[in-house]
Amino acid sequence: MSGSLYLVLSLVAGIATGVLSFGWPVETATERRGAFGPGPAGRGVIGGLLGLGGAATILGAMGLCMFAADAEATEGVLAIGLAAAFGWMFGAAAKAFVDRGDSGGSGFGDSEIRTGAYRLGWYWPWLLLSPTLIILVFFLYWPAIQTFRLSTKLTRLGAPRQGERCLANFSELLVPEPVLVAALPLAAIGLMWGVGLWHRRANPSTWGYSVARTVRPLGIVVLLVALYFIFESQDGGYRQIYLNTLIISVGTVALSMVAGLALAYLTFRRVRGITVYRTLLIWPYAISPPIAGILFFMMFNATGGVVAAVTARWGIDFPDYTQNATLARLTIILASVWKLLGYNLLFFLAGLQTVPRDQIEAAALDGANAWNRFRLIVLPALGPISFFLLITNLTYSFFDVYGTIDFLTKGAPAGATSVAIYEIIRVGVDNGDLGRGAAQSVVLFLAVIGLTAWQFKQSEGRINYGGA
Amino acid sequence: MKRILALLMTMSLLVVACGDSADDGPAATADDPATIEMWIAFSDEDRLGFAQDRAAEFSAEHPEYIVEVTAFDSYNTVFEQAQLAIDEGNPPEIIHFFEAATQEALDAVNADGDPIFTSVTDAIGDRTEILGEPVVLGDVVSAATNYYTIDGELYSMPWNTSSTTMFSNMDILNAAGITEPPATWAEVEAACDAIMALPDAPSEGCITWPNHGWFYEQSLGQMGADLVNNDNGRSDRATEIFLDSPEAVAYVEWWSGLEQAGHYVYTGVQRDWDGTSAAFQAQNVAMLIYSSSDTTALTQAGVDNGFEVRSSYMPYNQDIAYEGNLIGGATLWLANGLSTAEQDGALAFLNFFSNPENAAEWHKLTGYIPITNAAVDMLADEGFYDESPNSAVASEQLDAAANTPAATGALVGNFVAIRDVVTAAVEDILVNDVDVKERMGSAQAEAQQLLDDYNELYAE
Repeated sequence: MSGSLYLVLSLVAGIATGVLSFGWPVETATERRGAFGPGPAGRGVIGGLLGLGGAATILGAMGLCMFAADAEATEGVLAIGLAAAFGWMFGAAAKAFVDRGDSGGSGFGDSEIRTGAYRLGWYWPWLLLSPTLIILVFFLYWPAIQTFRLSTKLTRLGAPRQGERCLANFSELLVPEPVLVAALPLAAIGLMWGVGLWHRRANPSTWGYSVARTVRPLGIVVLLVALYFIFESQDGGYRQIYLNTLIISVGTVALSMVAGLALAYLTFRRVRGITVYRTLLIWPYAISPPIAGILFFMMFNATGGVVAAVTARWGIDFPDYTQNATLARLTIILASVWKLLGYNLLFFLAGLQTVPRDQIEAAALDGANAWNRFRLIVLPALGPISFFLLITNLTYSFFDVYGTIDFLTKGAPAGATSVAIYEIIRVGVDNGDLGRGAAQSVVLFLAVIGLTAWQFKQSEGRINYGGA
Repeated sequence: MKRILALLMTMSLLVVACGDSADDGPAATADDPATIEMWIAFSDEDRLGFAQDRAAEFSAEHPEYIVEVTAFDSYNTVFEQAQLAIDEGNPPEIIHFFEAATQEALDAVNADGDPIFTSVTDAIGDRTEILGEPVVLGDVVSAATNYYTIDGELYSMPWNTSSTTMFSNMDILNAAGITEPPATWAEVEAACDAIMALPDAPSEGCITWPNHGWFYEQSLGQMGADLVNNDNGRSDRATEIFLDSPEAVAYVEWWSGLEQAGHYVYTGVQRDWDGTSAAFQAQNVAMLIYSSSDTTALTQAGVDNGFEVRSSYMPYNQDIAYEGNLIGGATLWLANGLSTAEQDGALAFLNFFSNPENAAEWHKLTGYIPITNAAVDMLADEGFYDESPNSAVASEQLDAAANTPAATGALVGNFVAIRDVVTAAVEDILVNDVDVKERMGSAQAEAQQLLDDYNELYAE
């Protein structure tokens, strides 16, 4: 396929997402009050123009390099995704601006309700915010923008020149079949969306509704599987890294949260010396991830480890975790879980104190057994804490696990425990390949953003923060 | 990215704190001594201590100079820090850098596009002594001279230089009826069969060595196979790499065969110097192929743990004519753009640092080869090799090598990353039993990409 086709498709994608994000869902706050002029059609046109503007901005800023004759077809597909993302962002930003205008304050639109306004002038809030903003800009946003810029280059520290790589640093992480790269995620997202729609539209009393409700959470699994198939499968390809990251982070998060809750529930009772138990359980949290790696290395090392020495007495040959992918991953997960456990325990203990005792007592009087009391009263009450822990644990298993891996396996055996963050540091820092390292950071960044957004959406309306 | 930013900021602070210019200043005097900064990649007590002692001695003899040794934890850190310091206009005078990054050191330029390092040979010119210190550069042993000579010029001052040698636990070998350490691959296999048939065979296996690219390169050198084109990158810049040459495949096949037979012990970690050495010292394996840099320590470990350690040449492929083993180690590079006084001080120190007495002491302390012929003669005269025969093996092995590109070693950009591609492929082969030829083929593609990228950024 030629570059111009990809260009057209990219612009169309930008327009489509612009329309979706700016003008959809149909009824906005504006429309309810009828303050903002254009009707649905007009909004669609404005959204489309915004989306087109977004797509054109990013593609133009990159010099349309992804449509050049020597660009790979996968780069064209990525360009469509990029255009769609920018179209969406432009539309969403404009929508936020308009909605804000509707509710008073700045923006345009007119309303009786006004948000707070400073009597001292518009610049005061900015002035008061400036210390934070300056720090954010210099230490967060500026490096982040540099990372995006670097991800399109071939560059090394101290090299006399840079090479332009356009989106090749990204496309080489993917399988070389552009159709697959485009179709699989789209199909997965379409499926997720379709099931969601089915769930919303179906009559709650029907059989179809229960099916839709059951399969709906599986949407993310479908997407994860689709992504697995679009990553490069060759030796040293990104598919292995993706799989490792998935296994190790899901394993770590699930196990550490379940174990944390179980231990918190056990220690949330009046037993003699319970504070001692609690303190001991929280200790591992105070230990840094590399130390956790060293401790588990000392325990599980097949030749000189403590566990191996003990099992040798019983005549059991302790297996070498560095030679077996499953064992190696399990060891990393165990070390990370152990490290996270104290943290989770702390929060769950705090959460348990907020569970309404009168409800539990009432349920007990009504004959609910312990399991039902836990399931129906305690668990829902822990919703906000669990959601918070889910996000922080996921962040831990994505980023902080580096130290543990570096001391336990260094990615062995044959890269089976090399997760995304480990690979970023190996490629970008150890090998000095700043461009590829930056590209992988961007991938990880998108994954974290995507997962967090998905979790927020999933938990919408399900988590009760108390109050009315 | 964050790390580099942090480095940059630290460096700029340092520059503000101690900014001195590197122009042609006045000559150094005892009242106003010039500082010669030397950055090295050794932070352990023995090797750092050796450098610090020599620096103190030199400063005592030449009060117009103060030599300051700064230790870093790896060659890469030294190089990274040096590049940043040079960009800030405050470079250390002497930088310790390892053999695999020779091409990178040659290609390194500052922000204005000037080379970061200057040729030591050039800087010395035809002087035979500098500030009273005799020049020893011309006396450096041939293996090191050959390796570090580029376009007919020895660019940097060789310091720690070693080769790969084999260490055998003679108690175990003798018990299996073997009197001499095996010299060839076939002999290793035969010896391992005998050793593993012992009733009290070593617990982990027969032989081990770190999964490090250096051993792979040594085997290619032995078989006379080039790693890269253009005479191993020595007649012109290397542009093609041959990771899956028949010789390379033969070596990895032999290696994985040993592993499958239960003879080779893989510790499960790439570049595992500690784990392999520990297995040998604990007598859990009978033989260890290692760097000669640890000859002194390994021999002493045998004495401490009650077994005889004998050093011998690295085993070679008996089916292909032996060409030679190569060196490993590092050299000391001289920063470009120093004032005359600074440069002379640095050169005088470099020659003092490797004068026969110091080179001999360095050898005794570690096992790195004595770097000059005079040092070798001195050690022989004092009878050192008669009482420590193991210490002579590395020098002899290097002397026996042919002066060909293959046996000298490759000069290639992005070498460290390329080595990592080799070790990753070998690990895959050892652990997952994948096909050697196929796996080395995909490693070849990956390494070629790394080389192409490097040349795109650095080649003229």
